[in-house]
Amino acid sequence: MAMSAADDQLAVERVLGGDISAFEEIVRRWQSPLVNLAFRFCHDRGRAEEMAQEAFLRAYRNLKQWRKEAAFSTWLFALATNFYRSELRRIPVYVPIDDVREPADPRAQDGGLEEEDRDRAVRRAVFTLPEKYREALILFYFHEMDVPAAARSLGLPEGTFKARLFRGREILRGKLPQLLAVARLKEA
Amino acid sequence: MSEEMMFEAMMSGVTRSGAMPSEVTTLRALGIVPDPTASAPSAASEKDMISMGGKMNNDELDRILSRPDDIQPSSGFAASVMDAVRAEAAAPPPIPFPWTRALPVLLVAALALLAVAIAGIAAIVQISRQPAAPELAASWWSSALAPYTSGAVGTDLAWTAAALLAAFVSVRVSMRLASGKV
Repeated sequence: MAMSAADDQLAVERVLGGDISAFEEIVRRWQSPLVNLAFRFCHDRGRAEEMAQEAFLRAYRNLKQWRKEAAFSTWLFALATNFYRSELRRIPVYVPIDDVREPADPRAQDGGLEEEDRDRAVRRAVFTLPEKYREALILFYFHEMDVPAAARSLGLPEGTFKARLFRGREILRGKLPQLLAVARLKEA
Repeated sequence: MSEEMMFEAMMSGVTRSGAMPSEVTTLRALGIVPDPTASAPSAASEKDMISMGGKMNNDELDRILSRPDDIQPSSGFAASVMDAVRAEAAAPPPIPFPWTRALPVLLVAALALLAVAIAGIAAIVQISRQPAAPELAASWWSSALAPYTSGAVGTDLAWTAAALLAAFVSVRVSMRLASGKV
């Protein structure tokens, strides 16, 4: 990771020095995380790539603003997160909550949804949460449960972020039985 | 009842009293409206529901949510981004705002605004003087504005002419600025 951070810094310095091709190193290194972060926000592959491309462009335009106090990745994720949030406020995402696959296991007809379907329903249920809780959950799990990193991406104090995370989980837990009932109803 | 409304009702836990029979059936199936004719839910289904939502703990949620459907960027993604970056770099820099040209105009506009404000205050003072307000008439600003408040009709005409002139000048100047003939 230290190696990657040094590589980022070197690439940024080269870009700022006029070597645009050095930006490709940054794009190749961070394309997957940025596209996946966008995908978690919008759940649409095409839109995720469009949003990630615009995030990279904004990063390129504002490269001088990276103060090097934090890691380049932290700055990049914060920039991308802010852009994704504003983009989704502009054109909200609609994820059908009942879009779960048909059960493949015959036992599922009696006993309920397959585990994979249930997991998918849970993940989709995140999109039914109010924005501030949804963002907290998406970033918490995107940053692999690193509260400081997720809080920095949202520009929130850690305490506020933890409170949102807690509340988001509570709401999600409360909604799950009904969401799963809808999925079961669609199956029937 | 649309699916969206059904979902809203389900989320809020509120049922509508005027629901159609088919809607009631749906709501019963969702567990929102109790079904008196239905037999007790099977133990398996009840347990299923509890384990799925009611008593799902943080560890279980963590496990489910930390395994999202990751995607790989398409093969041309990096190239597409770099094309956009190169196009951005090749584009001419944005034209800076012409402050040197705009400043005199802005100054004139500010002065005109100030004049209008003074005229407005003067008019208010003139109106308030009529129903005998001695303390107001005695105030320093009222006396300072006295020259503007005398001769109402003549002043109105003068201000109207001044406003028209200011509008004409500002339109002309902005047109000249836009065509770069200053």
